[in-house]
Amino acid sequence: MPLELSETTATLSDVVTVDEVEPLVAWLRITSKPKVNLRRCNHLHTGALQALLLFQPRITSSPTDAFLATQVLPLLRGSSGGPVLPESEPP
Amino acid sequence: MNPLLAQFLAEAADLLSQVDEGLLELERDPSDPELVNEVFRAAHTFKGSSGLFDFPELTRLTHAAEDLLDAVRSGKLSLDSGMTDDLLAAFDLIRGWLAHVTTHERLPATAGPAGQSLIVKLRGPLGGEQATVNPDVAAALAGPVIDRAPDWLALFDPEWLEKTATWLSSTSATMRFVRFTPDQGCFFRAEDPLHLVSQVPALAKLDLIQPFEWPPAEEYDEYACLIGFALATRAARGELDYLFRYVPDQIEIVELNGDAIHRYVAGEEPPQPRADEAVVAAVAQSHTENLELARDAHAILAAAQRSLALEGSVSGVRLSAVARSVAAAAAALGVPVDTADPDVETLKAQVANLLTEVRPTPADAPPTPPPPPPAERAPVDRGRADDPGGQVGTRILKVDQEKVDHLMELVGELNVAKNGLTFLADAAEEEFGSRVLSRRIKDQYSGLHRIAEELQAAVMDVRMLPLSVAFSRFPRLIRDLSRRLGKTVELVTEGEDTMADKDVIEALGDPLVHLVRNSLDHGIETSADREVAGKPPAARITLTAVADGDAVIVEIADDGRGIDPAKVKHKAYEKGLISEEELETLTDSDAVDLVFRPGFSTADQVSDLSGRGVGMDAVRASVEKLGGAVTMRSQLGRGTSTRLRLPLSMAVTQVMVVSVAGQRFGIPVDLVVETVRVPSAELGRVLHQDVVVLRGEVVPVIDLARALDMPWTPDPAADRAILIVSMHGQRVGLLVEQFHREVDVILKPMEGLLAYADEFSGTALLGDGLVLLVLNMKEVLSLAARAQ
Repeated sequence: MPLELSETTATLSDVVTVDEVEPLVAWLRITSKPKVNLRRCNHLHTGALQALLLFQPRITSSPTDAFLATQVLPLLRGSSGGPVLPESEPP
Repeated sequence: MNPLLAQFLAEAADLLSQVDEGLLELERDPSDPELVNEVFRAAHTFKGSSGLFDFPELTRLTHAAEDLLDAVRSGKLSLDSGMTDDLLAAFDLIRGWLAHVTTHERLPATAGPAGQSLIVKLRGPLGGEQATVNPDVAAALAGPVIDRAPDWLALFDPEWLEKTATWLSSTSATMRFVRFTPDQGCFFRAEDPLHLVSQVPALAKLDLIQPFEWPPAEEYDEYACLIGFALATRAARGELDYLFRYVPDQIEIVELNGDAIHRYVAGEEPPQPRADEAVVAAVAQSHTENLELARDAHAILAAAQRSLALEGSVSGVRLSAVARSVAAAAAALGVPVDTADPDVETLKAQVANLLTEVRPTPADAPPTPPPPPPAERAPVDRGRADDPGGQVGTRILKVDQEKVDHLMELVGELNVAKNGLTFLADAAEEEFGSRVLSRRIKDQYSGLHRIAEELQAAVMDVRMLPLSVAFSRFPRLIRDLSRRLGKTVELVTEGEDTMADKDVIEALGDPLVHLVRNSLDHGIETSADREVAGKPPAARITLTAVADGDAVIVEIADDGRGIDPAKVKHKAYEKGLISEEELETLTDSDAVDLVFRPGFSTADQVSDLSGRGVGMDAVRASVEKLGGAVTMRSQLGRGTSTRLRLPLSMAVTQVMVVSVAGQRFGIPVDLVVETVRVPSAELGRVLHQDVVVLRGEVVPVIDLARALDMPWTPDPAADRAILIVSMHGQRVGLLVEQFHREVDVILKPMEGLLAYADEFSGTALLGDGLVLLVLNMKEVLSLAARAQ
């Protein structure tokens, strides 16, 4: 399962496709202080990336995938003009 | 051929004719917004579906046409005849390509340059592109040319830019900067921009283009792509062009060296107006000459020459289309000609010129004659259908369902009228004493019968649909439900191309949904329970369809917990559905069958999915209404499978005609087991119930006349005619007056004043004009039970 949702944490793994975007967004909408674990994620669909950008959940662990870790994660951490995240507290 | 492609081609033929028609009407009345809209929509659909296949030229050309139409639609441009010509030529070209695709499954080699010249023309009125893109210039552009820094360079981190610029300057190298702005609806086309970006080789830096303002969370549409990307890469221009070949309109590529970036960072250079780099690059790419291309171009020229020679009065749109194809071919051969203002004579001369010029070129190639365009000899002005484009896809008619239904009714009437002939033959012999005439009528009848049967089979064939239509909703249903229930379920479908009548398919929908829900809710355990039971955590639901003679069998199987016969028996006993004696004696398989009893529900808890006790009996009732049967087998702990057996078609029902008290009735042949005649003395009576002993089995006999409230006293001396029917595996005898033959009838449901009469499933017209009432055996039996 590419998407596992628990009360406060969403775990994204493998390839997150467009199919996962809707449940992810629905979860982000209703979850206060959401946390997202990207460790085992190999690819994020653009829609999922966009949702993470909009809802700004806390990324609890960075992906091991090289592209996501080096290129995409900095975008999520807000280094590119988006609203800057507050410094994340230790998980 | 890939079925998707076949469908695209079939649809494309429709869309093309729609566009053609619309454009011609538009030319007459350019101000009609509805017409523009129609053409635009068709072009848009075309572009969208062409993107599914590896035909980038096709997508680009339709895109250009769509853009032009969009501008017309929004009122930015008014359509003039020049534009109409270009549009028509574009769609003619597409028609030609698709004809090529129909036979070769790829676009012709000339597609690139031919499409490009039209794209340039189409984009001309939009001002987006210079009307004269010279291939030579384009070729020159393909070299490392340093562009001016675009304003979107600001998206990158200035510090990084500075560092990069210094590095580039000191190594006198260049980098490619790409701006990728996907359109909002791209997710619906299964595009994933980030995935494309992740494939960019040697990606040096990636940045986001965020929307000016994010929508509030509650209005956010997760399926609209709002973001874009800006990236810097060391990948070569060709790599980028290739990677983004399907979205050339969404990317902008600039090549920058250190100085250009320095100038930009220092603010020395005004941002450059957006240039359509992608298109220029596309021209450069397509300019690569090869032999095949030259040969195709040669073929086009030859075809053009022939059509010019054949047709004295080539004019207007057609002429300019020919001119354009000549120009495209010429460009492909590297000998551009000016065909801007064509007339027949100059064009002929130009073609002749070109042909002599290029003839030496393919000399080293084997002189294989190019595949002739399918309709190249067709007179040019005979109409659009005779276009040099030829046939696109196989012809598919879209017919209103009602028309097919009407046809079916007419076939039914024909059958009835045909059956009338046998009565006429009998009358000829009996009333008029002419055996010869009777024989001749019968001959005639057999001929007519054969034709009517074939006609009926043909119409039935039209109504056939694959079961995949009924199955198609399950992947989604199972995904949603399993998620809600927290179970992991895998769906396997088999035999979805089995065909059945559309009425059967439609009627199958609800029972199937019910059964699948039942499986999901009651049958399948949670992953944890499954692991405890030593099963793989993901459960499996299998939907299978197989044809079986004139029936289709649909099976829904799961590998869940199965049905516990003891539990079922107990439940049924508690609910008063079976007696204590039955509780003891029922076999396990009979116990499983109890779930079909009305008022039975096994689930201890009623969930919102199923389990309100209206389940399986409703399934059985609706399947039986279709003339089918449901059986269920279950192995405790191993799973349950439910098997639906349905007639392939419901349009024609075979009934056995019997008469009771002088009136004829029909009984569905499927139910009839046998017909017997027994001496009246052998008819016994056990506990107020007539019975007959057949081969050692006691079969209850119901007096059909009494059940239907028709007074009748059988002749005490004569043998009794008894029709044995089978209902739910039980045999019942029906006492009737006389057996007649079997007939095929078209059953009409009871309507109006008779709608309340449940004991009849419908009426049918017989050949002699008599209306036959067809019995609903289930109701008749319960009626008989009440009468006793």
